[in-house]
Amino acid sequence: MDRFAQVCDEVAQTGSRRKKVRLLSEYLRGLSDEDLPRVVRFLCARPLARTEAELSIGHSRLRDALMEILPWEPEIVRLCFREVGDAGEAIGLLLEGFTRREPMTLASAELLYQRLYYSRRAAGKVSLLTSIFLQHRPRTLQYFIKVITGDLRIGLKEKIVEEAVAAAAGAAHDTVRKASNRSGDLPAVALAARRGRLHAVEASLFHAMDFMLAKPVDQVREILDPAIWLVEDKYDGIRAQIHASGDKVMIFTRSLDEASSSYPEIAAAVQALPHSVVLDGEVLAWRGGSPLPFFALQRRLSRKRLTAEILEQVPVIFMAYDILYLDGDLLLDTPLEQRRALLEQTLAGHGAPLLVSPQQRADNLETRFTEARERGNEGLVLKRPGSAYESGRRSGAWVKIKRPYATLDVVITAAERGHGKRATLLSDYTFAIRDGARLVNIGKAYSGLTDSEIRELTRLLPSLAQEESGRVLLVRPAIVLEVAFDAIQRSKRHASGYALRFPRIVRWRRDKTPDQADSLARVRQLHEGRAGVRQSRAFLNEPGI
Amino acid sequence: MRIEYSPRGIFLSEIGLWLDAQEPQEACWISHAHSDHARSPHGTVFATPATLSLYRTRLGLDEAGFRPLDYHECAEFHGARLTACPASHILGAAQLLVEHRGERLVYTGDIKLRPPLCGCATETVACDHLIIESTFGLPIFHFLETEQARRRIAGFARECLDEQTTPVFLGSTLGRGQEMVHALSEAGIPVSVHGAIVHYLPLYEAAGYPVQWEPYDAESTKGTAVVVTPGLRDQLEASARNLRFAYVSGWAALANARLGARAEHLIPYSDHGDFQELISMVQSSGARRVDVVHGYAEAFARILRQTGCDARAAGVRAPEDE
Repeated sequence: MDRFAQVCDEVAQTGSRRKKVRLLSEYLRGLSDEDLPRVVRFLCARPLARTEAELSIGHSRLRDALMEILPWEPEIVRLCFREVGDAGEAIGLLLEGFTRREPMTLASAELLYQRLYYSRRAAGKVSLLTSIFLQHRPRTLQYFIKVITGDLRIGLKEKIVEEAVAAAAGAAHDTVRKASNRSGDLPAVALAARRGRLHAVEASLFHAMDFMLAKPVDQVREILDPAIWLVEDKYDGIRAQIHASGDKVMIFTRSLDEASSSYPEIAAAVQALPHSVVLDGEVLAWRGGSPLPFFALQRRLSRKRLTAEILEQVPVIFMAYDILYLDGDLLLDTPLEQRRALLEQTLAGHGAPLLVSPQQRADNLETRFTEARERGNEGLVLKRPGSAYESGRRSGAWVKIKRPYATLDVVITAAERGHGKRATLLSDYTFAIRDGARLVNIGKAYSGLTDSEIRELTRLLPSLAQEESGRVLLVRPAIVLEVAFDAIQRSKRHASGYALRFPRIVRWRRDKTPDQADSLARVRQLHEGRAGVRQSRAFLNEPGI
Repeated sequence: MRIEYSPRGIFLSEIGLWLDAQEPQEACWISHAHSDHARSPHGTVFATPATLSLYRTRLGLDEAGFRPLDYHECAEFHGARLTACPASHILGAAQLLVEHRGERLVYTGDIKLRPPLCGCATETVACDHLIIESTFGLPIFHFLETEQARRRIAGFARECLDEQTTPVFLGSTLGRGQEMVHALSEAGIPVSVHGAIVHYLPLYEAAGYPVQWEPYDAESTKGTAVVVTPGLRDQLEASARNLRFAYVSGWAALANARLGARAEHLIPYSDHGDFQELISMVQSSGARRVDVVHGYAEAFARILRQTGCDARAAGVRAPEDE
């Protein structure tokens, strides 16, 4: 584990992906067959081999264990955690000089993770952590904890580990990527790659495979060869991948979270299928044969508990559009039309909540696009006949056409420090639009600015501060941002009475002053212009919308 | 000894002497030539000869009120005895020992315990009352030994040059900038220097720290390391390719500096002391009373109080970058 920590430090110290891969692959190559899968797992920040096992160790337990050792007051230690922004790193730095610096092997690290897992009581975990802290090298402990907290923060994505696994074994990156995608078990793939047995890595269910992605196109006329494509509506729901076998069902979303408990009606319907399957599609709020606005789905998802009432108010369906696995066969390389036929067979005779997305040959795309919009969908997805399911790729075999939505110029009214790497930066901004002479908040955004712009704002915003309440810095209106979003919806969360869906910052409008920001009237207009198409009558009549 | 702390600086009222005053005063001790300490002209200025010449270079002053005090040299002033004592920081940095009516007060200025790459090494001075800085006064800050830092700076430069990329070191105008140029020159690595760092190189050279460098030229960075002030970074990035940035600073002790400084490589070397250095300096001074200024003053004073020391944070000015 000491060497693991050293390699991680080296990986952190270079910005070059090629070099990260080289450092890692050299390290992996020298490991024993026992240690190789272990290290690959740790590099993916997974302490235990069983994916569902949780160590249940949060910051407060880590700090409790630390306070058994450190001579300083808790407030000092808390300040240190805040300044560092990462628990593992803070622990490593704070323990400098307090430990016996004994070596930790990879095998013993694994044993310690297991002991932490099996010690069920919080007090037991804390005292075990304390004894671990006292014994080992601070830098090793830093990474030992980062594996637990779930992010090494050394600029390492799982894809880079995959590449290093391939390089270490002298295997093709694509072969490793595919094996990892179908099995969901990169540690085992690493070993198989070393033994030249990647072909024997079997597909397994109940781990999220990478979704195939569609290339965005703004205008229908950008499609040069319209006649060749197969066309489906582009749905405005939640992309999901459903795994089912026997009684077991798991629903993974793009964030790769397991979400079956949020959609019990879909889970039940899939459970009843007499097949083992992996389906790709979209969860939609649905009533009377057409989709409800995304906002309805969001309202359902925001509930802590799914009551009979909300299940009744916002029913959901799964609009399936692809099948990746059927009764023992992985279908990723099977051509689109054959997958489509299998999908239709598998779901034949089912109605809501398990639907198959209608597919047609493209004839008049403009007409198709307008029809899709009228059905309450976002636009079109075009799929190339004969194409494979390219997991994790945006290759152009799928193309999506969405109507670009307007942007708004908004004014920053408050800022907060971010998390993790952004813990020292004011990176989260609350913003407002004009309502007569006053400003009313309409949303909050975290992404879109460059790092240097965020740093500049971090320096600038405190000089505009009017008030500080907890983490939030309320600032004098001065800075105008242009934000893009996917939709406007009514909301009680913000003073404007509206909220934006997926707001992201397009640019910092240094050329604009707050009085040039967009107005509530314009927001209302945008909302209404869209509402006419989007909202079904039944939904509008419901209370609380 | 009565000490008054204010945003204008530190004032020893019984002898009428300011320490690192922020505004023009009748008499002032300047601990070193950084702009937040050597800020304005004063009637009488006590400082080491090296600090005085840097100060003069920066502010374009005449020498009329200069009272050079070399290391270990004393001066009588309004009934007190002033002694300049070596401080590891930038060229010319010194602590001030003030002896007055049997009491010994030491003002460290900015300081570390480890020797700097250029400049003298701290000599700790026994005293009753210590005024110490705490830019890095939290126990998360651990810096490299000087020799390690020298090796890491040269090592990163060589590695980049071997890979046909250009190593860029971001450094302060006065202090680390010149130290890096010196360290790279000593290692035989060609250096281009950009911006205000250039102004002070002759003074470092005259003080016995040889430097070999060329002015930065966008056309010919190939094969040289670049030392530049952070302010010129955008200009540099617009004009050159394959740049790899190293950040040499105390803040580089924390991984989040990678984002903050936009540098891929972190080298935790500072002209301030890390936590352990600060603690050691307090302990070896033997001071019963400690006033903490700058940076994490509140936290560091609390930590000192826990060890039984009569320590308090003295508000001088807002914490700022190194």
